[in-house]
Formats: sequence, C-alpha cells, structure tokens
Amino acid sequence: MADQADFQDDALQYSRQLYSAAMRMTRNPSDAEDLVQETYLKAYRAYHTFEAGTNLKAWLYRILTNTYINKYRKDSRRPSEVDLGDVEDLYLYRRIGSEASAEASRTTEDRVLDGLVESDIKAAVESLPENFRLPVLLADLEGFSYKDIAEILDIPIGTVMSRLHRGRKAMQKALWEYANQRGLLPEGAEKP
Amino acid sequence: MIHNDPIDPTGSDCDDALASLYQYLDQELNTASSETIRAHLDECHGCNGRFDFERRLKTVVHDRLSEDVPPEFLDRLRQALSDEQQPTVG
Repeated sequence: MADQADFQDDALQYSRQLYSAAMRMTRNPSDAEDLVQETYLKAYRAYHTFEAGTNLKAWLYRILTNTYINKYRKDSRRPSEVDLGDVEDLYLYRRIGSEASAEASRTTEDRVLDGLVESDIKAAVESLPENFRLPVLLADLEGFSYKDIAEILDIPIGTVMSRLHRGRKAMQKALWEYANQRGLLPEGAEKP
Repeated sequence: MIHNDPIDPTGSDCDDALASLYQYLDQELNTASSETIRAHLDECHGCNGRFDFERRLKTVVHDRLSEDVPPEFLDRLRQALSDEQQPTVG
C-alpha cells in the first residue's frame, strides 16, 4: 500500500510523459491539461489502493487512458472500432529504400528520417483512429511492453500486437505523404 | 555479384524474420528467437536494411513525440494536489 504523503514526489516525475500522451489523445493543450490534472487528482485519491513496488507509470497511464475514454469519447465505453484500409508492410521503406546502391538508399533514408519534423510525426500519430493511436502511443512514446499495454487498455495481447502493427503501417503512410510535401522523396519514387 | 534485392524478401528465413520484425524491435521475443533473427540479420543484407530502417524510424517517432509540460501548468497541478492534500477545515 502506497503512502499518499509521497504521492507528489512519486507521481509527478511522470508528468512530462503523461502530458505528451494527453496531447496526442486530445489534440489540444487545454484539454490535455484538464486530462492530466484529472488523472493526477484521481490517482491521488486512489493512491492508497496502489500496491507499492508495482508499476506506478503503468497505473497512472491506466487512469489517464480510462479518463480519456470516459470523458472525451461520447459514444461508447470501448474505443470505436474504426478499421484501417489494407496497408503494406514496410510501407515507407518500400518507397524510399529502392535506390540503386546501398549508399544511395542510406542517403535517402537519412534525408527522410532527419527531414520529418516533430509536427509531422505528431500529426501522423494524431491521424490514427483511436483504437490504433493508443497502442502506438503506449509502445512508441512510452516503450510499454505488450503485456502492460494489454492491461492499460484492457484488451488481449494479440489485439495489442495487431493494432500496433496496423497502426504503425498507417502512420508510415501518413509520414510518406508528409515526406513528399517536404520534398524529401527521391526522384522516381512513388509519390502520394 | 549476387546481392539481395533490398525491397523484397528473398527466402523463407526473410519471411520468418519479417513476421517478427516489430516483436524483435519491441524486445518482445525470447532469447532464442531473438538470436535466430540476429543471426539472420548478420548474413542478410536486405533484411538488415529493413530492420535498421524500422528501428531508426521507431527512435525518430519516440524522440519527436515528447512535449514539454508548460511550467505554469505544472505549478497549477502541484497547487491542485496540495489543495487536495490539505482540505480546508470547518
């Protein structure tokens, strides 16, 4: 059992991560602040139920995710099951890694990876339907294990894997479009 | 000189490796499976390029998704938690 007196010290160390996730969930700073504050207040009130020594970050994320789902999604309790069209594996790589020589490919890869700016990456993640966006955020922003993501989102681990896989492919498709807008794609590459 | 097509996998080892690409990069494989893939990547230039790109992209995504918490928000958050901790008496 955790001591509420320690809550600020224990929990606020994750404020940057929680705020970053909240920004990608709500897509605006004012809602992100409300969401993070509500998460911390709920967590504080429930802190006596948190089992000290277990994963505090995952516990906070679970509260954040549930609060987000309940507060910002009006329709139903579980994420809306939006489907993504069929996107190939290695979507981005297939479109930029086809230069004649390994060196030329590497140069193009560097140009694309260096040239995609923060706003491109954020917009690509935000473009994902929620049921794919949350697993991608938890894995790629936070580095949670599949098991933790399954617990945070309350979905089976196989579902985590398939949503992560498909969400990442769809994100690559969006990144390909941003790379094209920024003129990062090589001559002769397939363009959106 | 024969070299692997950099885009399309050339053999069943490549298919096996690619099927586990994300699990490998996310460090979700057991040691034995991980070793099998690592050994394949050492000998397959094509897969090595694919895995390397996906690994670099994952790092880019991670690094460019973080937000700084606005300091005034952090102050408000601390204040809200302090208010919660010391409810006004009476």
